[in-house]
Amino acid sequence: MASHGLAYDGCNFFRQRLVLSTLSGKRVKIKNIRSKDDNPGLRDFEASLIRLLDKVTNGSRIEINQTGTVLFYQPGLLFGGSVEHDCNLQRSVGYYLEALLMLAPFMKTSLKATLRGVTNDPTDPTVDMLKSTALPLMKKFGIDGEGFDLKVVKRGMAPGGGGEVVFTCPVRRTIRPVQLTDPAKIKRIRGVAYSVRVSPQMANRIVESARGVLNQFIPDIYIYTDHMKGANSGKSPGFGLTLVAETLNGSFLSAEMSSMPQGQGDPMLPEDLGRNCAKLLLEEVHRGGCVDSSNQSLALLLMTLGQQDVSKVLLGPLSPYTIEFLRHIRDFFQLMFKIEVQKPSEDERKGGDKVLMTCVGVGYSNINKTIK
Amino acid sequence: ASEAFLRQQKAAPNLRKLVYGSVVEADDSDDEEQELGGLFRVSRPQNSKKSQANGVDSSRFDPDTSHNWDLEEMLNSIRDCFVTGKWEEDQD
Repeated sequence: MASHGLAYDGCNFFRQRLVLSTLSGKRVKIKNIRSKDDNPGLRDFEASLIRLLDKVTNGSRIEINQTGTVLFYQPGLLFGGSVEHDCNLQRSVGYYLEALLMLAPFMKTSLKATLRGVTNDPTDPTVDMLKSTALPLMKKFGIDGEGFDLKVVKRGMAPGGGGEVVFTCPVRRTIRPVQLTDPAKIKRIRGVAYSVRVSPQMANRIVESARGVLNQFIPDIYIYTDHMKGANSGKSPGFGLTLVAETLNGSFLSAEMSSMPQGQGDPMLPEDLGRNCAKLLLEEVHRGGCVDSSNQSLALLLMTLGQQDVSKVLLGPLSPYTIEFLRHIRDFFQLMFKIEVQKPSEDERKGGDKVLMTCVGVGYSNINKTIK
Repeated sequence: ASEAFLRQQKAAPNLRKLVYGSVVEADDSDDEEQELGGLFRVSRPQNSKKSQANGVDSSRFDPDTSHNWDLEEMLNSIRDCFVTGKWEEDQD
């Protein structure tokens, strides 16, 4: 055990383990990856993620056994720089980007990553969602400035892909601790309705029905329609909607929905998609907190890596992914959060229970960054 | 006030235990492999832990369907989250 660092079973939470291993410098061994499955071992998209990690680091050692059920990873130094990667089409770019978002501030040189593949699919947070929620969240932790951007150059729907995304991020030596305890009220709702290789009218139909639901709460709603054509539209048809609610304090809650990939599942009317997505946003508002459910782990990671000072963040109910992430943080950084439940008072109409997460950062500093 | 504090103290470790404690509990129920005729072992895809270990790795939090957002009372329950809702006394 000691010679191999940390050991885990199964392929779930694969990204968390690799990312935390890279940041903490601890070796990790993952066993029994789909060992009982008819098709055992690592999938192509996981191999693709490993390849991406290999590109942004220097001197990583990766060993995989013949059937791919055991992986040993010894992290190298985070190098960064200009990286191009063709992401596997089984998962969307969001899958890879979530890992990159966690690593990017701690590189030696600022990262410029060009990722190609599926930009929007129903499984992972889409590029639009990460752009509108994860980036503003990271800005609160002091990661901002010029060249902090995520651009959708081409859109590519599942299963064909063909999209392209450019992510640039500056490096930071330390992370600022934050106090996000008051989500404040929602002042506006923004959104993007996108459609590729279908009638541009689809996006308008989505917008219409989504507004119908949300207008009962707030008049300030603007949903952009984004119809990409020709070479920018990828290889498969599809449409979808991303909604973002912005509060007075600059917190963002978001929800999204994409059409099922061509040839899978039941087709969906754009009107239904718009309405259901709007309801998902209401659900997200009901959960509440300063960080939406898909970015909980990113926020907790940045809190962990902050300077040695108290950070507080109010979250909605913890998602299973986040709970596992907390356990992994304990394994890799020996840090446990203080978790307090905040119940809303009787006469308040502010949704469900909230969770206040408190921790003292481990005082992580970016050893990779060159000091000028 | 001290009572409220104690009540809070009681509620807090529960969630903490849920997050940090249940890993150990999940490990206990693992060794239940039965033997058939001393030769074959039943490999059941039994506990949910195994399936969870090889589940889909996604940060998406699928909402529970218990909330029906067509109902007026559900809509009312979040009305104060918006600027159009009721404001607290101290901030206006």
